[in-house]
Amino acid sequence: MTFQTTLLISSFSGYLAAVGFYLLHVRHRRKAFLAAAFLLILSGFVLQTALLLLRWRTAGFLPVTNLFSTQLFFSWTLALVFLYFEIRYRIHSAGLFVVLLNLLLLGSALPRNPAIPPLIPTLDTPLFTWHIVFSFTGYALFAMAFSLGVLFLVRKNRPDSALPPLPVLRKLNEEAIFLGFCFFTLCLILGSIWAQVAWGFWFSWNIKGVWSFIVWLFYAGMCHAKFVRRWQGTGYAWLSIAGFGVVLFTYLGIGLLLESNHPLE
Amino acid sequence: MGARLWSLFCSLKLAIVLASLATLLVMGGSLAMHFNPSVFGNLDGTIMAAWWRQSGETNLSMTWWLPLAGSCLLLLGINSLCCFIDWARNWRRRWRKTGEYLIHSGFVLVVIAYVWGSVAGFRSEGNQLTIGETISVPHMPEFSLKLESFEPVLNNDGRPLDMRNTLALYRDGTPVKKTVSRINHPLIWGGLTVIPSSFGQFPTGFQFHWPTRGTVGLEPGTSVELPSGGGLRVLSFYPDAALAADGRVLRGGDRIGNPALEIELTHPYRDPWRGWYFLRGRLPFPLVEAGVHIWPMEPIYRSVSIVTINRDPGSRLALGGGILMGTGVLLAMISFYYKRSRGDRPQVG
Repeated sequence: MTFQTTLLISSFSGYLAAVGFYLLHVRHRRKAFLAAAFLLILSGFVLQTALLLLRWRTAGFLPVTNLFSTQLFFSWTLALVFLYFEIRYRIHSAGLFVVLLNLLLLGSALPRNPAIPPLIPTLDTPLFTWHIVFSFTGYALFAMAFSLGVLFLVRKNRPDSALPPLPVLRKLNEEAIFLGFCFFTLCLILGSIWAQVAWGFWFSWNIKGVWSFIVWLFYAGMCHAKFVRRWQGTGYAWLSIAGFGVVLFTYLGIGLLLESNHPLE
Repeated sequence: MGARLWSLFCSLKLAIVLASLATLLVMGGSLAMHFNPSVFGNLDGTIMAAWWRQSGETNLSMTWWLPLAGSCLLLLGINSLCCFIDWARNWRRRWRKTGEYLIHSGFVLVVIAYVWGSVAGFRSEGNQLTIGETISVPHMPEFSLKLESFEPVLNNDGRPLDMRNTLALYRDGTPVKKTVSRINHPLIWGGLTVIPSSFGQFPTGFQFHWPTRGTVGLEPGTSVELPSGGGLRVLSFYPDAALAADGRVLRGGDRIGNPALEIELTHPYRDPWRGWYFLRGRLPFPLVEAGVHIWPMEPIYRSVSIVTINRDPGSRLALGGGILMGTGVLLAMISFYYKRSRGDRPQVG
């Protein structure tokens, strides 16, 4: 077993154990479980960061050019976003979905070949690196918004003291959408500049480009919808859920099922 | 009436309706695009206006959503512009929203830039240039492009890594821009972008063994003096030539198939002879008679750089829009954290 595999399995185990502690907290409501879960996620994140840095150093570029690498990076951004909300707002098990998604991504990455493919010359630019960093940070924040949207609906229909109050869930959901939109806007700006220097046009009608624009337009609409009374709360929660469906299709659906200029394998 | 119209165009709800409509139309349309590559396949190879004339108009059953989505986005652009003007008029009261409205103004510029580029630009792929060759820029007759030098960069396995093209752009014969262009580093001048997209080699002549002279390369333009006082001059070279029924020699592809040289033979006391030498056949008698004894050895290859030449007059405006949006995002984030630290946020309905 290589050092990189050890790091990967260790961080996966940390996240898995953290989910266990969060579930125990949901059932038994003990602060010790929360503290243990937080520490486990933090250690998993530190190990995953070390793994990412090691792979970056080995490759000489941020390795995000195949499915394994993007899963690893997306999972890292999910953990980062969870830690941001946990440290800032103490959301605890309210972010459980994000941790579960993280586990799913890492778990499905485990059996894959971790070898880093050589970098295609066109991708050898900082524009690509930052395009990817902002893209996955945006995706992770949209995943958090999905999680908070689901919990908002659950909390509304089944009042449960284990979940934060509705106004807090709404506030966090709006923050996740706003930050996600900001990062995704930066991703599209850098992607467009890169497309101009690489292909000679800044907007591509390739299906990935079209759906990335759809994601941006959808969340731009959401950033406005929060000011409309009718869409506040429940409507916003449903929109967050639908938006994440669009994100999933843009990242996985197009990358795996359709032919695009952003292949994952 | 005017105030009501202005109010409508500054409306937040209008923005949501237009964004939702455009989103739904493009979502559905993207499926039509994916399953009809014969109609939509060339959308990136040309500008929108040209594509619409070529394919869009004739396949309305599959493309109807595009003008509708485009209209929604145009109206969204107008809506964003009106909101921006409304904000700018009340800047003293609403300066804290500067970030958000910079994003609006950037979006307006991006929409205008796309329309401008889609109508007044062009895209031209597969332009071949050999070293020293000058070609006219498509649709811009006063501009020409010269490839001064070309160097493919290969790794140890021979895999192409990059291609360094020294390109010079001329306007009416006067150089306006010269740059070493490579992957992700195009030649950019005004709205013109020249990108090295590929490279290759093609045969330009042949090397021969000439017992009295050693190895001799014959390409179009090559002249050789003969001991008899006359000369041999190569007029043209076809890598793959075919003899038509009427006696004409026709050019096939660029790969070596049935190579042929068109040669002119001059002699001080005779009329010049001009004819084709098919390298797979015998040497024509007039050449033998003139003392030319040559045996073909191998083709002479020359590198060719293949470049894409695109013109988008809106690209600089789009960049300006992108910079405004990026700045707006950063300001909006700063403002967001400032407002959150003061507990300022929309009221729960």
